[in-house]
Amino acid sequence: MLSWVTGAIGLAAAITIIVLIRKDHLHVRYGIWWIAVAAVFVVVGLYPGIVDHLAARLGIAYGPVLALTVGLTVFVIKILTIDIARSRDETRIVRLVQRIAILESEVDQLKREARDRAEGVEEGAERGE
Amino acid sequence: MTAFTDPGCLVVIPAHNEAHDIARVVTEVREIHGLDVAVVDDASQDNTVKRARAAGAQVLPLSVQLGAWGATQAGMRYALRHGYERVLTMDADGQHEAVWIPNLLSPVIKGDADVTIGCCVRRGSRMRKIAWRILKAVSGLTREDITSGFRAYNRTAFRLLASREATLLEYQDVGVLVLLRNAGLDTHDVEVTMLPRRSGTSRVYHSWFAVMYYMCHTILLGISKRRVRR
Repeated sequence: MLSWVTGAIGLAAAITIIVLIRKDHLHVRYGIWWIAVAAVFVVVGLYPGIVDHLAARLGIAYGPVLALTVGLTVFVIKILTIDIARSRDETRIVRLVQRIAILESEVDQLKREARDRAEGVEEGAERGE
Repeated sequence: MTAFTDPGCLVVIPAHNEAHDIARVVTEVREIHGLDVAVVDDASQDNTVKRARAAGAQVLPLSVQLGAWGATQAGMRYALRHGYERVLTMDADGQHEAVWIPNLLSPVIKGDADVTIGCCVRRGSRMRKIAWRILKAVSGLTREDITSGFRAYNRTAFRLLASREATLLEYQDVGVLVLLRNAGLDTHDVEVTMLPRRSGTSRVYHSWFAVMYYMCHTILLGISKRRVRR
């Protein structure tokens, strides 16, 4: 029974991922990872013997421990890579905001100079120069 | 006092909701020393931009609040782009007095130091002094007043600090000083007096949680960036 539940969760996850990509809520790049996760769920769910077989070969007495340990490790690594990506994105945003501020101040400066020049020309014209 | 001018220096003043003091600070710097001033507005909701501009400063308006360091770095990038040779940073709240600017700039102009830090060791509560001691111990820094934002930098120093590498820093103290030290740049302390803050509250120490976060952040940064002796 449990194997069917796990398999169903995997299938549901895969369908959700495809719907999210379809609606542009998820980048295809990240979709690949999540589809892979869903596939592992389906395979392990439908053929739970795989885990026990692997555990026996690695000398682990209780199969689910292997599944949990591997799963947890993979997810910790995944979360860490997310934070690394976030740090990189934050740097990009900060530098963009700074650059916009610099450009805005330069545009402002140019506008003021142009206005001053225009006023100077007008004054000159009034004096008949 | 002899007139002090330095056309190669840009004074960078990061400001967040400092409409009350900004005009006076800008005017003082411009009138006493005739220096160019860039006010980096850290997404203020008050009249900071308007008042700074009216006082004759070049204003860099940040569209998203980046904090004091992010704002200062924007000013350094501006200075780099516009060919300035030196950058002097000071607070917008009137704590730093313009009369001390020559003392900070002279060693940098003469080439005696890459960076000078206006330090006022008498300021700060006992708690703050304990915090400084911890921060100095973990980062291996020897400066007297590591949190002071009253500093002068030469072009080598502010080019380094304008880089991508310095962008992720959240505060201008330990992270910046460690970066300078690891690049082999020479940092000097210059004794100055500072006035009590006239308005607003400290942006770093505004609550106990903020202080805790600041300490954890800075200790971790100080440890991770310690120079590895080979």
